[in-house]
Amino acid sequence: MDFECSTPRNLDEALEALKAEGAQVLAGGTDLVNSIKINAAKPRHLVYILGIAELDFVTVEGKSLSIGAGARLGDIEHNHGVVSRFPALCEAIDVIGGTQIRNMATLAGNICNASPGADTPPILLALNAEVEICGAGGAAGVQYSRLPLGGFFSGPKKTVLKQGQLVFKLILPLPPEHSGAAFRRLARVSLDIAKINCAAYIEREGDRIRLARIALGSVAPTPVRAPAVENALEGRKYGERLFDRAAGLVAEDIAPIDDVRSTAAYRGQIASLLVREALLEAWKRAGGQK
Amino acid sequence: MNLSITLNVNGKDYSLEVKPNEILLNVLRDRLELMGTKYGCGIGECGACTVLLEGRAILSCQTLAFTVDGKRITTIEGLEQDGDLHPLQQAFIDEGAVQCGYCTPGMILSAKALLDAKPDPSNQEIKQAIRGNLCRCTGYTNIVRAIKTASVTIKNRGRMKR
Repeated sequence: MDFECSTPRNLDEALEALKAEGAQVLAGGTDLVNSIKINAAKPRHLVYILGIAELDFVTVEGKSLSIGAGARLGDIEHNHGVVSRFPALCEAIDVIGGTQIRNMATLAGNICNASPGADTPPILLALNAEVEICGAGGAAGVQYSRLPLGGFFSGPKKTVLKQGQLVFKLILPLPPEHSGAAFRRLARVSLDIAKINCAAYIEREGDRIRLARIALGSVAPTPVRAPAVENALEGRKYGERLFDRAAGLVAEDIAPIDDVRSTAAYRGQIASLLVREALLEAWKRAGGQK
Repeated sequence: MNLSITLNVNGKDYSLEVKPNEILLNVLRDRLELMGTKYGCGIGECGACTVLLEGRAILSCQTLAFTVDGKRITTIEGLEQDGDLHPLQQAFIDEGAVQCGYCTPGMILSAKALLDAKPDPSNQEIKQAIRGNLCRCTGYTNIVRAIKTASVTIKNRGRMKR
Protein backbone atom coordinates (compact mmCIF):
# COMPACT_ATOMS: atom_id res chain seq x y z
CA MET A 1 0.00 0.00 0.00
CA ASP A 2 1.58 3.26 -1.13
CA PHE A 3 0.80 6.66 0.25
CA GLU A 4 2.39 10.03 0.75
CA CYS A 5 2.98 11.59 4.11
CA SER A 6 3.67 14.90 5.76
CA THR A 7 5.02 15.84 9.17
CA PRO A 8 3.64 19.30 9.97
CA ARG A 9 5.28 21.24 12.82
CA ASN A 10 2.26 23.39 13.66
CA LEU A 11 -1.51 23.45 13.35
CA ASP A 12 -1.57 25.71 10.26
CA GLU A 13 0.70 23.35 8.37
CA ALA A 14 -1.38 20.35 9.46
CA LEU A 15 -4.64 21.90 8.28
CA GLU A 16 -3.01 22.88 4.99
CA ALA A 17 -1.76 19.31 4.49
CA LEU A 18 -5.21 17.91 5.31
CA LYS A 19 -6.66 19.70 2.28
CA ALA A 20 -4.98 17.15 0.01
CA GLU A 21 -7.35 14.63 -1.57
CA GLY A 22 -7.53 11.40 0.43
CA ALA A 23 -5.58 12.96 3.30
CA GLN A 24 -6.06 11.38 6.68
CA VAL A 25 -4.77 12.20 10.16
CA LEU A 26 -2.21 9.83 11.67
CA ALA A 27 -1.71 10.06 15.43
CA GLY A 28 -0.56 7.06 17.50
CA GLY A 29 -1.35 4.73 14.61
CA THR A 30 -2.44 1.81 16.78
CA ASP A 31 -5.69 1.48 14.82
CA LEU A 32 -4.82 3.12 11.52
CA VAL A 33 -1.53 1.30 10.84
CA ASN A 34 -3.29 -2.04 11.38
CA SER A 35 -6.10 -1.01 9.07
CA ILE A 36 -3.58 -0.04 6.41
CA LYS A 37 -1.78 -3.39 6.80
CA ILE A 38 -4.97 -5.37 6.19
CA ASN A 39 -6.15 -3.00 3.43
CA ALA A 40 -9.15 -1.86 5.48
CA ALA A 41 -7.89 1.73 5.18
CA LYS A 42 -6.40 3.10 1.97
CA PRO A 43 -5.21 6.60 2.72
CA ARG A 44 -3.58 8.53 -0.11
CA HIS A 45 -1.81 10.89 2.23
CA LEU A 46 -1.07 10.62 5.95
CA VAL A 47 -0.70 13.77 8.00
CA TYR A 48 1.26 12.89 11.15
CA ILE A 49 0.18 15.18 13.97
CA LEU A 50 2.20 13.96 16.95
CA GLY A 51 5.12 16.20 16.02
CA ILE A 52 2.96 19.26 16.73
CA ALA A 53 3.84 20.65 20.15
CA GLU A 54 0.70 22.80 20.38
CA LEU A 55 -1.51 19.69 20.36
CA ASP A 56 0.36 17.90 23.13
CA PHE A 57 -1.10 19.09 26.43
CA VAL A 58 -3.15 18.01 29.42
CA THR A 59 -4.10 21.09 31.43
CA VAL A 60 -6.59 22.25 34.01
CA GLU A 61 -7.76 25.74 33.05
CA GLY A 62 -10.47 27.40 35.10
CA LYS A 63 -13.27 24.93 35.63
CA SER A 64 -12.28 22.37 33.03
CA LEU A 65 -9.67 19.86 32.00
CA SER A 66 -8.37 20.16 28.44
CA ILE A 67 -6.76 17.22 26.69
CA GLY A 68 -4.99 18.03 23.43
CA ALA A 69 -5.28 15.78 20.39
CA GLY A 70 -1.61 14.87 20.76
CA ALA A 71 -1.83 13.64 24.36
CA ARG A 72 -1.08 9.92 24.65
CA LEU A 73 -3.28 7.72 26.83
CA GLY A 74 -0.28 6.89 29.03
CA ASP A 75 0.43 10.59 29.64
CA ILE A 76 -3.19 11.24 30.54
CA GLU A 77 -3.64 8.34 32.97
CA HIS A 78 -0.49 9.34 34.88
CA ASN A 79 -1.19 13.08 34.90
CA HIS A 80 -1.63 14.20 38.48
CA GLY A 81 -4.57 16.50 37.73
CA VAL A 82 -6.38 13.68 35.93
CA VAL A 83 -5.61 11.01 38.53
CA SER A 84 -6.88 13.18 41.38
CA ARG A 85 -10.02 14.51 39.69
CA PHE A 86 -11.00 11.83 37.17
CA PRO A 87 -10.12 8.40 38.61
CA ALA A 88 -12.82 6.70 36.53
CA LEU A 89 -11.29 8.09 33.32
CA CYS A 90 -7.93 6.64 34.37
CA GLU A 91 -9.60 3.29 35.01
CA ALA A 92 -11.12 3.29 31.53
CA ILE A 93 -7.79 4.22 29.93
CA ASP A 94 -5.93 1.61 31.93
CA VAL A 95 -7.84 -1.30 30.36
CA ILE A 96 -6.86 -0.26 26.82
CA GLY A 97 -4.20 -2.54 25.37
CA GLY A 98 -0.84 -2.99 27.05
CA THR A 99 1.60 -0.33 28.20
CA GLN A 100 3.04 -0.03 24.69
CA ILE A 101 -0.34 0.76 23.12
CA ARG A 102 -1.06 3.42 25.75
CA ASN A 103 2.37 4.97 25.16
CA MET A 104 1.44 5.37 21.49
CA ALA A 105 -2.33 5.88 21.24
CA THR A 106 -4.10 9.18 21.90
CA LEU A 107 -7.45 9.85 23.56
CA ALA A 108 -8.54 11.94 20.57
CA GLY A 109 -7.63 9.01 18.33
CA ASN A 110 -9.79 6.66 20.40
CA ILE A 111 -12.71 9.05 19.86
CA CYS A 112 -12.04 9.64 16.15
CA ASN A 113 -11.74 5.93 15.48
CA ALA A 114 -15.36 5.80 16.71
CA SER A 115 -15.50 2.12 17.51
CA PRO A 116 -18.88 1.36 19.14
CA GLY A 117 -17.01 -0.72 21.74
CA ALA A 118 -14.18 1.72 22.52
CA ASP A 119 -13.45 2.02 26.23
CA THR A 120 -13.15 5.79 26.69
CA PRO A 121 -16.39 7.13 25.14
CA PRO A 122 -18.78 5.89 27.88
CA ILE A 123 -16.86 7.60 30.67
CA LEU A 124 -16.28 10.72 28.55
CA LEU A 125 -20.02 10.87 27.83
CA ALA A 126 -20.83 10.38 31.51
CA LEU A 127 -18.42 13.20 32.38
CA ASN A 128 -20.14 15.47 29.83
CA ALA A 129 -17.09 15.88 27.57
CA GLU A 130 -17.05 18.31 24.66
CA VAL A 131 -14.96 18.08 21.52
CA GLU A 132 -13.25 21.09 19.99
CA ILE A 133 -12.77 20.70 16.27
CA CYS A 134 -10.60 22.90 14.10
CA GLY A 135 -10.37 23.46 10.38
CA ALA A 136 -8.70 25.84 7.96
CA GLY A 137 -10.74 29.01 7.73
CA GLY A 138 -9.04 30.72 4.78
CA ALA A 139 -8.22 34.36 5.48
CA ALA A 140 -9.94 34.08 8.87
CA GLY A 141 -7.22 31.72 10.10
CA VAL A 142 -8.00 28.55 12.00
CA GLN A 143 -11.71 28.06 12.75
CA TYR A 144 -12.68 26.35 15.99
CA SER A 145 -16.04 24.87 16.93
CA ARG A 146 -17.26 22.91 19.93
CA LEU A 147 -19.86 20.21 20.29
CA PRO A 148 -20.93 17.73 22.95
CA LEU A 149 -19.23 14.35 22.50
CA GLY A 150 -22.67 12.75 22.09
CA GLY A 151 -23.08 14.64 18.82
CA PHE A 152 -19.66 13.63 17.52
CA PHE A 153 -20.38 9.98 16.72
CA SER A 154 -22.53 9.43 13.64
CA GLY A 155 -22.31 5.64 13.24
CA PRO A 156 -19.99 2.67 13.67
CA LYS A 157 -16.49 4.01 12.88
CA LYS A 158 -18.08 7.27 11.71
CA THR A 159 -17.92 10.79 13.10
CA VAL A 160 -19.13 14.21 12.04
CA LEU A 161 -15.56 15.31 11.22
CA LYS A 162 -15.34 16.63 7.67
CA GLN A 163 -12.41 16.35 5.30
CA GLY A 164 -9.82 18.88 6.36
CA GLN A 165 -10.96 18.99 9.98
CA LEU A 166 -9.07 17.86 13.02
CA VAL A 167 -9.99 17.32 16.66
CA PHE A 168 -8.06 19.99 18.55
CA LYS A 169 -8.91 18.96 22.10
CA LEU A 170 -11.39 17.35 24.46
CA ILE A 171 -12.82 19.40 27.31
CA LEU A 172 -14.11 17.92 30.56
CA PRO A 173 -15.84 20.07 33.18
CA LEU A 174 -14.20 19.57 36.58
CA PRO A 175 -16.53 17.48 38.72
CA PRO A 176 -18.06 19.41 41.63
CA GLU A 177 -17.97 18.30 45.25
CA HIS A 178 -20.30 15.42 46.15
CA SER A 179 -19.98 13.86 42.71
CA GLY A 180 -18.55 10.51 41.69
CA ALA A 181 -17.97 8.46 38.57
CA ALA A 182 -17.23 4.82 37.81
CA PHE A 183 -16.34 2.63 34.83
CA ARG A 184 -17.13 -1.04 34.31
CA ARG A 185 -16.40 -3.43 31.45
CA LEU A 186 -16.55 -7.07 30.52
CA ALA A 187 -14.08 -8.75 28.17
CA ARG A 188 -12.95 -12.33 27.67
CA VAL A 189 -9.31 -11.72 28.64
CA SER A 190 -7.67 -8.51 29.75
CA LEU A 191 -6.31 -7.35 26.37
CA ASP A 192 -9.57 -8.07 24.54
CA ILE A 193 -11.92 -5.48 23.15
CA ALA A 194 -14.94 -5.12 25.44
CA LYS A 195 -18.08 -7.23 25.02
CA ILE A 196 -19.78 -4.35 26.74
CA ASN A 197 -18.70 -1.37 28.82
CA CYS A 198 -20.44 1.34 30.78
CA ALA A 199 -19.85 4.38 32.94
CA ALA A 200 -21.90 6.28 35.48
CA TYR A 201 -21.62 9.78 36.93
CA ILE A 202 -23.69 10.96 39.87
CA GLU A 203 -24.03 14.32 41.61
CA ARG A 204 -25.31 13.85 45.13
CA GLU A 205 -27.36 16.22 47.27
CA GLY A 206 -27.69 14.73 50.72
CA ASP A 207 -29.30 11.36 50.22
CA ARG A 208 -30.72 12.29 46.83
CA ILE A 209 -29.40 11.87 43.30
CA ARG A 210 -29.33 15.40 41.95
CA LEU A 211 -28.05 14.42 38.53
CA ALA A 212 -27.07 11.16 36.83
CA ARG A 213 -25.38 10.47 33.52
CA ILE A 214 -25.01 6.88 32.34
CA ALA A 215 -23.40 5.77 29.08
CA LEU A 216 -22.63 2.43 27.48
CA GLY A 217 -20.51 1.01 24.67
CA SER A 218 -20.82 -2.04 22.44
CA VAL A 219 -24.62 -2.04 22.75
CA ALA A 220 -25.59 0.24 19.85
CA PRO A 221 -24.10 1.59 16.57
CA THR A 222 -22.39 4.32 18.60
CA PRO A 223 -21.58 4.79 22.29
CA VAL A 224 -24.90 5.87 23.89
CA ARG A 225 -26.32 7.62 26.91
CA ALA A 226 -29.05 5.88 28.90
CA PRO A 227 -31.79 8.50 29.43
CA ALA A 228 -34.35 6.01 30.76
CA VAL A 229 -32.00 5.08 33.60
CA GLU A 230 -31.02 8.71 34.21
CA ASN A 231 -34.63 9.90 34.42
CA ALA A 232 -35.53 7.14 36.83
CA LEU A 233 -32.79 8.30 39.19
CA GLU A 234 -32.77 12.07 39.10
CA GLY A 235 -34.27 13.80 42.11
CA ARG A 236 -34.87 10.50 43.91
CA LYS A 237 -33.67 9.38 47.27
CA TYR A 238 -30.93 6.77 47.24
CA GLY A 239 -31.92 3.17 47.82
CA GLU A 240 -30.57 -0.09 46.51
CA ARG A 241 -34.06 -0.93 45.18
CA LEU A 242 -34.09 2.34 43.24
CA PHE A 243 -30.73 1.46 41.65
CA ASP A 244 -32.00 -2.04 40.79
CA ARG A 245 -35.13 -0.66 39.15
CA ALA A 246 -33.35 2.16 37.31
CA ALA A 247 -30.59 -0.15 36.01
CA GLY A 248 -33.27 -2.53 34.72
CA LEU A 249 -34.61 0.23 32.48
CA VAL A 250 -31.37 0.26 30.45
CA ALA A 251 -32.99 -2.15 27.98
CA GLU A 252 -34.98 0.84 26.68
CA ASP A 253 -31.76 2.70 25.88
CA ILE A 254 -29.72 0.07 24.05
CA ALA A 255 -29.94 -2.02 20.88
CA PRO A 256 -27.26 -4.72 21.15
CA ILE A 257 -26.43 -7.13 18.34
CA ASP A 258 -24.73 -10.52 17.95
CA ASP A 259 -21.10 -10.30 16.86
CA VAL A 260 -17.77 -12.11 17.32
CA ARG A 261 -17.41 -10.96 20.90
CA SER A 262 -20.84 -11.60 22.35
CA THR A 263 -24.55 -11.99 21.68
CA ALA A 264 -27.40 -9.52 21.80
CA ALA A 265 -29.13 -11.62 24.45
CA TYR A 266 -26.09 -11.74 26.74
CA ARG A 267 -25.36 -8.05 26.32
CA GLY A 268 -28.98 -7.21 27.07
CA GLN A 269 -28.94 -9.26 30.27
CA ILE A 270 -25.58 -8.14 31.53
CA ALA A 271 -26.10 -4.43 30.74
CA SER A 272 -28.38 -3.82 33.71
CA LEU A 273 -25.97 -5.56 36.08
CA LEU A 274 -23.01 -3.51 34.87
CA VAL A 275 -25.02 -0.30 35.10
CA ARG A 276 -26.07 -1.20 38.64
CA GLU A 277 -22.45 -1.83 39.67
CA ALA A 278 -21.28 1.42 38.09
CA LEU A 279 -24.09 3.35 39.79
CA LEU A 280 -23.29 1.92 43.21
CA GLU A 281 -19.60 2.74 42.81
CA ALA A 282 -20.33 6.26 41.54
CA TRP A 283 -22.70 6.85 44.46
CA LYS A 284 -20.05 5.65 46.91
CA ARG A 285 -17.45 7.94 45.34
CA ALA A 286 -19.89 10.82 45.54
CA GLY A 287 -19.77 10.32 49.30
CA GLY A 288 -23.19 8.72 49.46
CA GLN A 289 -24.00 6.35 52.29
CA LYS A 290 -25.38 2.90 51.77
CA MET B 1 8.60 9.66 -2.49
CA ASN B 2 11.42 8.72 -0.10
CA LEU B 3 12.08 10.59 3.10
CA SER B 4 15.40 11.24 4.76
CA ILE B 5 15.33 10.43 8.45
CA THR B 6 17.89 10.09 11.21
CA LEU B 7 17.65 7.60 14.04
CA ASN B 8 19.75 7.09 17.11
CA VAL B 9 19.61 3.37 17.78
CA ASN B 10 21.44 2.02 20.84
CA GLY B 11 23.57 5.15 20.93
CA LYS B 12 24.59 5.04 17.28
CA ASP B 13 23.38 7.57 14.69
CA TYR B 14 21.94 6.40 11.38
CA SER B 15 20.81 8.41 8.34
CA LEU B 16 18.32 6.56 6.19
CA GLU B 17 16.01 7.02 3.24
CA VAL B 18 12.64 5.46 4.03
CA LYS B 19 9.37 5.06 2.15
CA PRO B 20 6.25 6.46 3.87
CA ASN B 21 4.92 2.93 4.40
CA GLU B 22 8.06 1.46 5.95
CA ILE B 23 7.53 -0.03 9.38
CA LEU B 24 10.11 0.64 12.09
CA LEU B 25 10.42 -3.09 12.88
CA ASN B 26 11.50 -3.80 9.29
CA VAL B 27 13.96 -0.92 9.30
CA LEU B 28 15.57 -2.27 12.46
CA ARG B 29 15.73 -5.87 11.28
CA ASP B 30 16.27 -5.65 7.53
CA ARG B 31 18.27 -2.46 7.17
CA LEU B 32 20.14 -2.08 10.45
CA GLU B 33 20.42 -5.88 10.82
CA LEU B 34 19.34 -5.76 14.45
CA MET B 35 17.55 -9.10 14.54
CA GLY B 36 16.83 -9.11 18.28
CA THR B 37 13.51 -7.34 17.80
CA LYS B 38 10.93 -9.93 16.76
CA TYR B 39 7.95 -9.98 14.44
CA GLY B 40 5.11 -11.73 16.24
CA CYS B 41 1.46 -11.04 15.55
CA GLY B 42 1.90 -7.91 13.43
CA ILE B 43 -1.28 -6.40 14.86
CA GLY B 44 -0.16 -4.98 18.17
CA GLU B 45 -1.25 -7.73 20.53
CA CYS B 46 1.81 -9.82 21.38
CA GLY B 47 4.56 -7.31 22.23
CA ALA B 48 7.39 -9.31 20.59
CA CYS B 49 8.34 -6.20 18.57
CA THR B 50 8.63 -3.95 21.65
CA VAL B 51 11.44 -1.38 21.58
CA LEU B 52 12.06 1.72 23.67
CA LEU B 53 11.34 5.06 22.04
CA GLU B 54 12.89 7.85 24.13
CA GLY B 55 12.89 5.34 27.00
CA ARG B 56 9.24 4.30 26.70
CA ALA B 57 8.02 0.92 25.49
CA ILE B 58 6.30 1.03 22.10
CA LEU B 59 5.42 -1.48 19.38
CA SER B 60 7.80 -1.23 16.43
CA CYS B 61 5.42 -3.20 14.17
CA GLN B 62 2.77 -0.51 14.60
CA THR B 63 5.14 2.40 14.03
CA LEU B 64 5.79 3.96 10.65
CA ALA B 65 9.50 4.76 10.46
CA PHE B 66 9.00 8.34 9.26
CA THR B 67 7.18 9.20 12.50
CA VAL B 68 10.29 8.54 14.64
CA ASP B 69 12.64 10.81 12.69
CA GLY B 70 15.28 12.23 15.02
CA LYS B 71 14.33 9.96 17.92
CA ARG B 72 16.33 7.75 20.26
CA ILE B 73 15.55 4.04 20.09
CA THR B 74 16.78 1.19 22.27
CA THR B 75 16.57 -2.44 21.14
CA ILE B 76 17.63 -5.55 23.03
CA GLU B 77 21.10 -5.27 21.41
CA GLY B 78 21.59 -1.99 23.24
CA LEU B 79 21.34 -3.39 26.77
CA GLU B 80 24.65 -5.18 27.07
CA GLN B 81 27.50 -2.90 28.17
CA ASP B 82 31.11 -3.79 27.21
CA GLY B 83 30.30 -7.49 27.08
CA ASP B 84 28.38 -7.51 30.37
CA LEU B 85 24.73 -8.49 30.22
CA HIS B 86 22.19 -6.08 31.66
CA PRO B 87 20.92 -7.25 35.09
CA LEU B 88 17.55 -8.02 33.45
CA GLN B 89 19.20 -10.25 30.86
CA GLN B 90 21.22 -12.04 33.53
CA ALA B 91 18.17 -12.46 35.77
CA PHE B 92 16.13 -13.96 32.90
CA ILE B 93 18.86 -16.59 32.49
CA ASP B 94 19.30 -17.22 36.21
CA GLU B 95 15.59 -17.52 36.95
CA GLY B 96 14.83 -19.75 33.96
CA ALA B 97 12.62 -17.08 32.45
CA VAL B 98 13.59 -18.01 28.88
CA GLN B 99 12.42 -21.05 27.01
CA CYS B 100 11.95 -20.54 23.27
CA GLY B 101 13.14 -16.96 23.69
CA TYR B 102 10.86 -15.35 21.12
CA CYS B 103 9.07 -13.06 23.58
CA THR B 104 12.23 -12.37 25.59
CA PRO B 105 13.57 -9.22 23.88
CA GLY B 106 10.21 -7.50 24.07
CA MET B 107 9.59 -8.74 27.59
CA ILE B 108 12.98 -7.43 28.79
CA LEU B 109 12.48 -4.04 27.15
CA SER B 110 9.04 -3.64 28.75
CA ALA B 111 10.66 -4.58 32.05
CA LYS B 112 13.49 -2.07 31.50
CA ALA B 113 11.03 0.76 30.88
CA LEU B 114 9.29 -0.23 34.11
CA LEU B 115 12.46 -0.41 36.23
CA ASP B 116 13.80 2.87 34.80
CA ALA B 117 10.59 4.60 35.91
CA LYS B 118 9.96 2.56 39.04
CA PRO B 119 13.08 0.85 40.49
CA ASP B 120 11.22 -1.15 43.13
CA PRO B 121 7.97 -2.40 41.58
CA SER B 122 5.49 -4.74 43.28
CA ASN B 123 4.57 -8.03 41.61
CA GLN B 124 1.27 -6.46 40.60
CA GLU B 125 3.07 -3.52 38.95
CA ILE B 126 5.36 -5.95 37.11
CA LYS B 127 2.37 -7.93 35.83
CA GLN B 128 0.67 -4.74 34.75
CA ALA B 129 3.80 -3.55 32.90
CA ILE B 130 4.16 -6.79 30.89
CA ARG B 131 0.45 -7.17 30.17
CA GLY B 132 1.17 -6.29 26.55
CA ASN B 133 3.82 -9.01 26.16
CA LEU B 134 2.61 -12.55 25.52
CA CYS B 135 4.68 -15.61 26.45
CA ARG B 136 3.42 -18.97 25.23
CA CYS B 137 5.95 -21.34 26.77
CA THR B 138 7.94 -20.32 29.85
CA GLY B 139 4.93 -18.95 31.64
CA TYR B 140 4.86 -15.72 33.52
CA THR B 141 5.88 -16.87 37.00
CA ASN B 142 9.60 -17.08 36.26
CA ILE B 143 9.47 -13.92 34.18
CA VAL B 144 7.93 -11.90 37.01
CA ARG B 145 10.49 -13.37 39.41
CA ALA B 146 13.35 -12.47 37.05
CA ILE B 147 12.21 -8.87 36.85
CA LYS B 148 11.97 -8.71 40.62
CA THR B 149 15.48 -10.21 40.93
CA ALA B 150 16.86 -7.69 38.45
CA SER B 151 15.34 -4.82 40.40
CA VAL B 152 17.19 -6.02 43.51
CA THR B 153 20.47 -6.44 41.58
CA ILE B 154 20.20 -2.92 40.18
CA LYS B 155 19.44 -1.53 43.62
CA ASN B 156 22.43 -3.33 45.20
CA ARG B 157 24.78 -2.14 42.46
CA GLY B 158 23.64 1.42 43.06
CA ARG B 159 24.52 0.97 46.74
CA MET B 160 27.97 -0.43 45.96
CA LYS B 161 28.77 2.53 43.71
CA ARG B 162 27.86 4.93 46.48
